[in-house]
Amino acid sequence: MGGKRAAKNKQPTAVADEAAVVCLPADCRLAAQAALKAQLQQVLQHGDIVIDAQALERIDTAALQLLVLFRRELEHNGGALAWRGTNEVLHEAAALLGLEQSLNLPTATSA
Amino acid sequence: MAKILAVDDSASMRGMVAFTLRGAGHEVTEAENGQLALDAARGNAFELVLADVNMPVMDGIAMVRQLRALDAYKGVPILMLTTESHTEKKMEGKAAGATGWLVKPFDPEQLLATVKRVLG
Amino acid sequence: MGAVDLTQFHKTFFEESLEGLDAMEAALLALDSGSTDHELVHTIFRAAHSIKGGAATFGFAEVAAFTHVAESLLEEVRSERRGVDGELIDLLLRSVDCLRAMLDHTSHGLPAADADSEALRGELVRLVSGEAAPAPAATTAAAASVDGWAIRFVALPHLLQTGNDPLRLFRELQQLGRLDVCRAFVVDAAPTQLAELDPGQCWLGWELRLHGAVARAEVAAVFDWVEGDCELAIEPIAPAASAAPVAPVAVAPPVAAPAASAPRPVRETAAASSEGSSIRVGIDKVDALINMMGELVITQSMLSDIGEHFHPSQLERLREGLLQLERNTRELQESVMRIRMLPIGSVFNRFPRLVRDLERKLGKQVKLELHGEHTELDKTVLEKIGDPLVHLVRNAIDHGLESPEQRRAAGKNETGTLRLDAYHEGGNIVVQISDDGAGLNRAAIVAKAEQRGLIRPGQEVDDAEVAELIFQPGFSTAAQATDLSGRGVGMDVVRRNVRDLGGSVGVRSQSGKGSVFTIALPLTLAIIDGLVTAVGEERYIVPLISIVESLRLRPEMVRKIAGGGEVFHFRNEYLPIMRLHRAFGCNAAITEIERGIVVVVEEEGRRVGLLVDDLLGQQQAVVKSLEAHYQRVQGISGATILSDGSVALIVDVCGVVRLGQRSKAA
Repeated sequence: MGGKRAAKNKQPTAVADEAAVVCLPADCRLAAQAALKAQLQQVLQHGDIVIDAQALERIDTAALQLLVLFRRELEHNGGALAWRGTNEVLHEAAALLGLEQSLNLPTATSA
Repeated sequence: MAKILAVDDSASMRGMVAFTLRGAGHEVTEAENGQLALDAARGNAFELVLADVNMPVMDGIAMVRQLRALDAYKGVPILMLTTESHTEKKMEGKAAGATGWLVKPFDPEQLLATVKRVLG
Repeated sequence: MGAVDLTQFHKTFFEESLEGLDAMEAALLALDSGSTDHELVHTIFRAAHSIKGGAATFGFAEVAAFTHVAESLLEEVRSERRGVDGELIDLLLRSVDCLRAMLDHTSHGLPAADADSEALRGELVRLVSGEAAPAPAATTAAAASVDGWAIRFVALPHLLQTGNDPLRLFRELQQLGRLDVCRAFVVDAAPTQLAELDPGQCWLGWELRLHGAVARAEVAAVFDWVEGDCELAIEPIAPAASAAPVAPVAVAPPVAAPAASAPRPVRETAAASSEGSSIRVGIDKVDALINMMGELVITQSMLSDIGEHFHPSQLERLREGLLQLERNTRELQESVMRIRMLPIGSVFNRFPRLVRDLERKLGKQVKLELHGEHTELDKTVLEKIGDPLVHLVRNAIDHGLESPEQRRAAGKNETGTLRLDAYHEGGNIVVQISDDGAGLNRAAIVAKAEQRGLIRPGQEVDDAEVAELIFQPGFSTAAQATDLSGRGVGMDVVRRNVRDLGGSVGVRSQSGKGSVFTIALPLTLAIIDGLVTAVGEERYIVPLISIVESLRLRPEMVRKIAGGGEVFHFRNEYLPIMRLHRAFGCNAAITEIERGIVVVVEEEGRRVGLLVDDLLGQQQAVVKSLEAHYQRVQGISGATILSDGSVALIVDVCGVVRLGQRSKAA
């Protein structure tokens, strides 16, 4: 689920200077990946992208891999990936898989 | 605690598994063959499936194959309850998409330890 | 987590194991008669497999050990590495018997294995080709000097689709020691475009370091479920720590399962003695009951509605409601009774095996036909009818059917036919055992009866009387008691057992053509058809099945005999008169015989006349045990509640006849 959310009430797809936001669903495991992938594909050309992890409760390797590959392609296209609302669930999983850098996750946590 | 589906044609084994897991606070649904398990799985979001291999109507291997074909069960852990004498069955189960196995005989403590291992 | 008490599942385990053995036996017999259905082999295998798994789980090590060997043998059959012949079926049938005994012993808290079971297990072991010697203990890793492990783990694309997530694996590694992820990487084969990515496929790899004094086997065990789903190398980190790692070699984790394969300690099982027999009820029967209950509730609410605002104009509705209530009650009663009903097939299922064994022992050829296996009988009746039926089947094969030579000489098919039928007839269940053998040997029976003093020498006996003779106590025509139908019991015992169930047994026979034994049983023991009689102020119920005739005696028909007894003349014999008012101590009863009525009852071939005041009519009586509510009373089998709410006692005809015989003898 999740769905694109307009930052400051603006349509991300329509505004180039504003970073598009993709929200991770609460249960972001294998069964949710097809939908997440579709969303990410849509914003591959939109430059800077913000991933919102506020709602995230569960995540798995498949999701982190998808995000890693997304960032790789995004940067290849000249965009950048930033995070919002990262939580312990995300940090723990990313750290355990050694993917914090590949995901460009902020190092400081416990915010 | 997790929603778990326990599948075994033996009422005593199924009862033992369900009883043990319920005692640990899990919510357990029982099914006595693969077909009934599939029916139950379609209407529920189980987080773990424990299944016997040898069952009438639909055996555990066929059940795993069909479960994995359902979107909702692509990554859900499915453990086969099997005996150590059947290495080839383990492999067959894995090929069908099983996550792992629990070797019979197991006691409640081993069962709980394994479930904990899968559910993290 | 405290120890979980598993004894509550023992009873279920024994029940399902015995059912499994029945299925196994039936399938073995089907294989024996030439069926090549592969599903039969699966059924047999599955039964052995389940028993083994359960026995091991619940700590019945001897049963588990026995089934383990049987299962190995069956696995060879299933995988078509071994053919099926009569010898193998014999061995497996004996194993079924042996397992039944072992389970029986175990369920009574006795040691399961004995010399016989061990000998049979030995036979099985010898047959199983190359029964693997116990696997040598997995080489315990000399891990003591190791600082930790360098692990290279590269997922194969399908890893995630088995439900195995590297996150879980790494968490498990964390439990063993300190885990460092030195490097995580995307493999070269990974798709470069998101569009091409199947999110269910995994393209990641890791280099890990696990620090701590951990055995290699422990590390390997974490990955045991993903063997074949990844590339894995586990290398020791040398104490020097700085030593350059040798080029990692892919190592498959050892196949030997971790600690789980260690033999489980045998649990001492307390005698699972809380018997309390249970019954399995089909869900359809329970549903029918619930439906019925629903209708009853509707009727009840309708009636109470009428009752609350009653007006004479509603009389018709009230009557309708009461009719509906009556119908509901009857249907509910039938549904409740049906719960106790089980198909006779569970008893019939014993016969293929019995017949097979008898054929071999007696050198006869028998074709067994079973009909009406789905006919349902009360559970109690079902449990008690088994032995009489076994006796009749044995008898039919031993005495009824001829040897192949004799049959050929008589122009018959060498293979005799034995047919079992079960069906409903009126309020009864009829079970027939028919054979196409020689029929009753009239001459031998008459000679024997004369010798036993059952008939006078030269006495005329018609066919029906000849047939009756074989049911007389002590009668047996077998030249020598074989261990089959002999067993010290005769047809009289069969008749008594059937009578105890409220049924009757008879035989029709045609010389050279065969015999038909017919058993008629009541649908249930819980309800009897009775004749309600009045004795003084009391009501007694005489079971209809025992009644020969009721009559009013004229004074000249009665004779007093020495000792104070009374007899009367009835169909060429003198029968003792049993005054029920005297036997049961009733007040205000009729004492002049000619004013009362005599009910002639028969039991075990003996007759007496019961003197009662009057006959009040026939009624179905629901039997309530006196023993359960009061105590056992001589001559009374139970009590029931009449339609007016009063209690009536049910006459135990057997007991009364015995009392009467004693008074006649006195």
